[in-house]
Amino acid sequence: MPLKEAVELLRKGIAYAKRTKYKEALAFYEKAISLDPKYPEGFVLRASVYIETGRYQEALADCNRALSLDQNCADAWSKKALGLFYLEKYEEAVLAGTRATSLNGNDAGAWYVLGVCLEEIGKSDEAQTAYGRSLELEIILDIQAESKKIRK
Amino acid sequence: MRTEMPLSKPIRRLLVQTEELLDTEISLLRQPEAEPGGTLVDKYTYDIESNVIIFPAQYVGLLKDFIIAKHCTNLLIKGAAAKRKEYRICSYTEGSVYTGMRQIYLDALKDEAKKEKKLPVQKLIQMLFILYTHFNDDINEIPWNAIMNASVYHRMPKIRKTQLYHIMKESKNDMDEMMEQESIVPRRYFVLDKAMFYARDMFLAKTLPADELMPVLNIPQMKKFNHLEVKEMLTTRWTQTAWYQSKVFGDNMLEIIDKPLGLVNWAEEPSLDYFYDLYKVGVLVTDNLLSYMTMRQWFTWETPKHLLESHDHKQEYERNALKKIFGDLITDTLEDL
Repeated sequence: MPLKEAVELLRKGIAYAKRTKYKEALAFYEKAISLDPKYPEGFVLRASVYIETGRYQEALADCNRALSLDQNCADAWSKKALGLFYLEKYEEAVLAGTRATSLNGNDAGAWYVLGVCLEEIGKSDEAQTAYGRSLELEIILDIQAESKKIRK
Repeated sequence: MRTEMPLSKPIRRLLVQTEELLDTEISLLRQPEAEPGGTLVDKYTYDIESNVIIFPAQYVGLLKDFIIAKHCTNLLIKGAAAKRKEYRICSYTEGSVYTGMRQIYLDALKDEAKKEKKLPVQKLIQMLFILYTHFNDDINEIPWNAIMNASVYHRMPKIRKTQLYHIMKESKNDMDEMMEQESIVPRRYFVLDKAMFYARDMFLAKTLPADELMPVLNIPQMKKFNHLEVKEMLTTRWTQTAWYQSKVFGDNMLEIIDKPLGLVNWAEEPSLDYFYDLYKVGVLVTDNLLSYMTMRQWFTWETPKHLLESHDHKQEYERNALKKIFGDLITDTLEDL
């Protein structure tokens, strides 16, 4: 079980990251990590900020730290695939992306990155399958978001 | 291209091609509150150095790819015309605002005469300019939307499913416009507004081709007009409903859109000349739609800067038009505007 305080700090960090206030988000994530270094989510979230700010190597390092704590952390595999994509390591990105999508088949972003990387290594048919899955999920999420808006 | 993010190959190619053809730079920007169809902020319309395509942050995959494709096409059309110093859009002047608002007022009076529950005068006065600018927005959007979508369909086969989803969603949202005001907007304008969207959707249903885009299948209020037999039409009061009239006007507008667009060779090698030709087709469709709606005198082809300046003066134009229409009777109301 993660420490309650760490979870709360991460929640605050996410709110900043959503508003693209990455410096503030990072500060909260770092506090959370130092408070509970065994909670993989902190590393995954910090990795996503690193990716947004172009610090891909650091993002990869954080994903690997998260995976050393939990080999089945789908988000860590997903962010790792994205980091590897930016570093143009497409073969490795495909492996990470495949793992991410097998652990969590509902991650539209992971399917899309997998599609892009498969396209890069010339596996066009497989890329189309990944894109198709990504699109299905994106549409479901979009419809859900629309209905939520209408209900409000 | 600035702002790195994972993009499918056809989209990357299109972005590079657009930048090369126009010798310009395009940035991509994710924003949580962006419009569902994205927004293009371009240097041909605004006084800025480069171009930005903004899309909703939650669109991480092909949904964003389609938005990028659509706006790149839009940028190519605008840029090709701007490079020849011929890029114009439908703007308005003090005189044209008066012409439009006066016509709306006269039509509103005719409608009001038949109504049991009259619209308060204050509301009627406020509606005139709102409706006028509504048509300005729509006429600057609908013909180009049809062209962009047809072009993306033919040039980017791999994102057709995404395109269909986007169009269906857009179509429903567009048809929902003005619904709450149906009882107060003069019938003629409600019908013309819906008819323009109907025509665009029918054109796209034919182009894609996708039956599900046909308003008689996609739009709940129009479903009852699907497969309507002549006998039924004669024995019911369908012809009196705004939605049926929208269909009739829309079918005529479809011909206006379809005729010039039907002649376009969508597979032609993309070049500035090609996109300039698309621009000319868009101008022709716009002019013909305006003529059909007898709104030719409502707007004037001007530079985008002119329209931005007109927006700055809109209160003044509205006040002056109202003074001209109502004379001294309007003084109190003008203070409330």
